[in-house]
Amino acid sequence: MHLQRLQLFSFKNHTEAHFAFCSQLNCITGPNGSGKTNVLDAVYYLANAKSYFNPADSQIMQHGSSFFSVHGWFADGDKEDEILATFTDKGKKTLKKNDKTYNRLADHIGMIQTVFITPYDISLVLEGSEERRRFMDFTLCQTNREYLEVLSTYKRILEHRNSFLKKMEGRNPDPDIMDSYDSRLVPAANRIFGWRQDFISEFQPWFQEYYGWLCQTTETVALDYESELITEAYSDILRRNLDRDRVLQRTSSGIHKDDLVFSLQGQPLKKFGSQGQIKSFVIALKLAQYRYFLEKTGHKPILLLDDIFEKIDALRAGKLMELVARDFFGQIIITDTHAERVKNHLKSLDTEQVFFELGG
Amino acid sequence: MQFTSAIVENAVDALSGFPGIGRRTALRLVMHLMNRPEAEVVRLADAVLKLKTELQLCSICGNVSDSGLCTVCANPMRNQKQICVVEDFSDQMAIEATSQYGGVYHVLGGLISPMDGVGPEELNISTLISRAAQEGTDEIIMAFSATVEGDTTMFYLARKLRDMPVKITCISRGISVGGEIEYADEITLGRSLANRTEYKV
Repeated sequence: MHLQRLQLFSFKNHTEAHFAFCSQLNCITGPNGSGKTNVLDAVYYLANAKSYFNPADSQIMQHGSSFFSVHGWFADGDKEDEILATFTDKGKKTLKKNDKTYNRLADHIGMIQTVFITPYDISLVLEGSEERRRFMDFTLCQTNREYLEVLSTYKRILEHRNSFLKKMEGRNPDPDIMDSYDSRLVPAANRIFGWRQDFISEFQPWFQEYYGWLCQTTETVALDYESELITEAYSDILRRNLDRDRVLQRTSSGIHKDDLVFSLQGQPLKKFGSQGQIKSFVIALKLAQYRYFLEKTGHKPILLLDDIFEKIDALRAGKLMELVARDFFGQIIITDTHAERVKNHLKSLDTEQVFFELGG
Repeated sequence: MQFTSAIVENAVDALSGFPGIGRRTALRLVMHLMNRPEAEVVRLADAVLKLKTELQLCSICGNVSDSGLCTVCANPMRNQKQICVVEDFSDQMAIEATSQYGGVYHVLGGLISPMDGVGPEELNISTLISRAAQEGTDEIIMAFSATVEGDTTMFYLARKLRDMPVKITCISRGISVGGEIEYADEITLGRSLANRTEYKV
């Protein structure tokens, strides 16, 4: 599956823009602020019905405009699919596939896979556990329909359970109501837990392989899935923590507290990793995500590389491009501020290449 | 909107507070009322007023009634041994419209939803428990929407009623009539499979 054409209206800084991409390497160059990353974000938007950066659609709309739209034409062999996403200032978002409106945006998730590598990804290491859970959830949702359903059921019941605890204001909650929530929370949590466990064990070796390749090193890196459910059954945890939950007026345990612990040579990456190691770590995570999508769906995702040559040294950039040439020959869209630099990096690759120059 | 009459403006303000009614629609309704004969408008006002002054809740099932006993509970032809529990009277009307049900009802007046501030104590549950304990009650049918609120209420009621000598059932959930399997969502379809029934010819 690759994106043949992309059309943007009032999307961030692009009042109107058209792109005709090739099925292999596409490079978008231009000065800072010319909207290179926004083009990648638009591609991401078509795949996921939301922006990679802005949770609020209203912030994507160009100032003074009453709507924005992202229109893409995808090709997969002989099959062509047209995806159109629009958002109006009334707050209405619609997503159409071949002129047919989706009833639920969730039905679209998983049709087009993207892997987005951006300098902002270091938040995966530096920020709280929510970022890492979101990474796991995003990766799993793309390949496992049920995961998305079960996770949203879990979140909905959790919301009810928390409001009920809040309503009790610290008094003893009616055990029949608590059981009613817990009896549905526990099986949902167990399924998510199992899926996350399987995911990490499958994902880990790919991740380690790519890290080793990128850095040409034998340093050991690891992802450890951390969950209270590893050592104790969730139903027991809930029972044990009931008093604490009552006082805190929220559910203090569960898969919404899971984390993914990153380590380098057995030490926490966040504390002991250099800037370069942290960057390589997240790139390896994203490459492993690519591999995971490829293995699960049999299709090559669209690889979005944002400002990659600016942020990593020449050795790693060279290794990355070598890897891309070896393993990842799907569609790639790269941005860079310097047209010459990116051409230098790509000249040795024997692939179709198209260049776009954006104005300031 | 600029009005030359405060009376008109008041009427528009009052009507525009209704669900689904904006100021423009409210103005249309007001103009319509102004053009109707006085007797008709008085009848309307009277009908509205009576909702507050005369409407009562049935002392048995909690449904709306005029006399303290609703027409279903007062009907000797209805099977008093079978009680169908519903969220509100519009759900009761939906079930009644099926013409498939000959028992009586119990109206909870809502579902357990802490996000809306509704707990079991806000609902008409204690009378249901005493009705279930009454001799002669055979079955309690729970007919709630398939939402988190509906499922919570169902579990809660089943717990409260589990020591009573009554059969507790819930309406089945599955493929709608005329619906095609390929368009059914996975959860509904999964539930239909799990709760499949024996097919007899």
